[in-house]
Amino acid sequence: MQSIATRKKPSRAHILTAVIIAAVYALVFAAEQLLPASSMLFIVLKKGATYALVAVSMNLLNGFTGIFSLGQAGFMLLGAYTFAIFTIPEESREIVYQYYNGGLIRFALPVIPALVLSGLVAALFAFLVGLPVLKLKSDYLAIATLGFAEIIRAIFQWDKLGAITNGSNMLHQFPSFSSFNIRNAQGEVVVYLSTLVPFVIAGVCIALIVLLINSTYGRALKAIRDDETAAEAMGVNLFHHKQLAFCISSFFAGIGGAMLAMYACTVQAKSFTSAMTYEILLIVVLGGVGSITGSCLSAFLFVACSEWWLRFLDNTYTIGSFQVPLLRNGFRLVVFSVIIMVVVLFFRKGIMGERELLDLLRGRKGKEAAK
Amino acid sequence: MSENVLKINHLTMQFGGVVAVNDLRMEINRGEIVALIGPNGAGKTTAFNCVTGVYEPTNGEILFEGKPIARNHPTGRMRKLYAGTMGDAYRGRIVRNTPDQITRRGIARTFQNIRLFGSMTVFENVLLARHLRRSSNVLTAMLRINRREEKRMREDAMQLLRVVGLEDVRDERATSLPYGKQRLLEIARALATEPSLLLLDEPAAGMNPQETEELGTFIQRIKKQFNLTILIIEHHMNLIMDISDRIYVVDFGRLIAQGTPDEIQNNDAVIAAYLGGDEA
Repeated sequence: MQSIATRKKPSRAHILTAVIIAAVYALVFAAEQLLPASSMLFIVLKKGATYALVAVSMNLLNGFTGIFSLGQAGFMLLGAYTFAIFTIPEESREIVYQYYNGGLIRFALPVIPALVLSGLVAALFAFLVGLPVLKLKSDYLAIATLGFAEIIRAIFQWDKLGAITNGSNMLHQFPSFSSFNIRNAQGEVVVYLSTLVPFVIAGVCIALIVLLINSTYGRALKAIRDDETAAEAMGVNLFHHKQLAFCISSFFAGIGGAMLAMYACTVQAKSFTSAMTYEILLIVVLGGVGSITGSCLSAFLFVACSEWWLRFLDNTYTIGSFQVPLLRNGFRLVVFSVIIMVVVLFFRKGIMGERELLDLLRGRKGKEAAK
Repeated sequence: MSENVLKINHLTMQFGGVVAVNDLRMEINRGEIVALIGPNGAGKTTAFNCVTGVYEPTNGEILFEGKPIARNHPTGRMRKLYAGTMGDAYRGRIVRNTPDQITRRGIARTFQNIRLFGSMTVFENVLLARHLRRSSNVLTAMLRINRREEKRMREDAMQLLRVVGLEDVRDERATSLPYGKQRLLEIARALATEPSLLLLDEPAAGMNPQETEELGTFIQRIKKQFNLTILIIEHHMNLIMDISDRIYVVDFGRLIAQGTPDEIQNNDAVIAAYLGGDEA
């Protein structure tokens, strides 16, 4: 009876989880020092970490609160632009803002404050958008948030705002992941950190989300997902809690956007399309709606499949005079779609369902005990 | 000493042309168990939903511990459609509280068709209901600065599970419990919000006679233990006659009788409503 009412010592499953996560970080660090920096693995890991964070933030809304929002790309765009605008070094501004006389903003922030700021800007917009939009239900809310993302994308390409957003031209020259590599005086890289850093940023953010979900507020969000009427009757203020989830989710989506900017080294509004939101939604569904572990795993699998493992399908092969049929540019997307359909049809709850890594380890322990 | 906990004045709830509750008047004193009975579709649950803020009444006012939690009068299209007689009595300020505000003030309820949180365990269901008495904000909860409060919430929830006798199944999924235990869990969850007035909507539905009898004893026990006032909707007449101090009878949205269990049992209008006697 004491076990639940009072905090107990960490169980074996908790320790195992911590060990597995630590091992992943150690592996990433080691791989980066040993393998050539141009390896495809690192592209996948960097983008995967970014997508994992965004997918988890979307899962917080769609999976844990039951708000079906499709505005993720819009909040990522806000985060990416905020980060880029405030971190471009002063001396590069003349080049970047060449059509706008160097732009309005003439200072640069360090990376960490800029990351937090990009989250805050996204959260602020989420707050304002949420005021009217969160009164809507299910699909209406999805359409409204999708519309918001499209409007934001259009506004950021608007010529009149060019002094800040650089219009439809791209922003570049801001710090990217590779600026975290430690170099010696000759400019040679001594310690590679360009993959570990996105892992650390995403890890901290995801840890915060997990803490939120396991707090009393997380329970309130799950109650709203399960039954709004009952949740309200139990004293959960629906609007307040939905607004909270929406802002926090957007905060982390904003940071995810900033990470995407660092990954890609350039920011352009036209790349934050609704297709990006669908990709993230797909990751959430494939991983399991309501599972943080699932979102993380499927983010890496998804990125690996689309960027790496299925690339060979796009190249034409000839063996002697025989050309392998079907393999040509674009075939990758066909195979990819088929895989997704198979997963959705046969693994309806995604890879993980609603389980977490912790539950899996507990489950195995439980089975051992039964033997 | 009879202090009003709940006072309902001329409550009318109209859905277009359908008058679900018509000029209902009720008074509940502190420490009473009051029953609201009537044939199916008489408007009992609608009255509950007005008290708990799910519906905004068309007309009338509801006072909880002397202060209005709902007050309205027919406006717009409803002025022409309005079927009640006291449409001009509440010209004053319109008061509307959301269900969570009303729960915060001390009215808790259970649901006729059980509404537990399906993805949560028995324990978490009760624990969630402690959420509204929190003093932590989202940041302190996220960063675990509220450890002491969280611990107290867990202890409170565990305590309540012991009261209703569900501590053995605390880690089961709430919806996997048998029907009768789900009803008990709903009561435990309602108690966790620290109410002074508890509304029970058909707590004995689907229970066998023995379980129903136990429920009666249980309700009287928690009433004493938590200093409650209880308003109960029920169809099991044995239970009602056993435990309630006073009974209100509604039919077609109208109050047709009120009084002690003895008075109600011998009331002609009530017998007519239930057995379909002559329209006197």
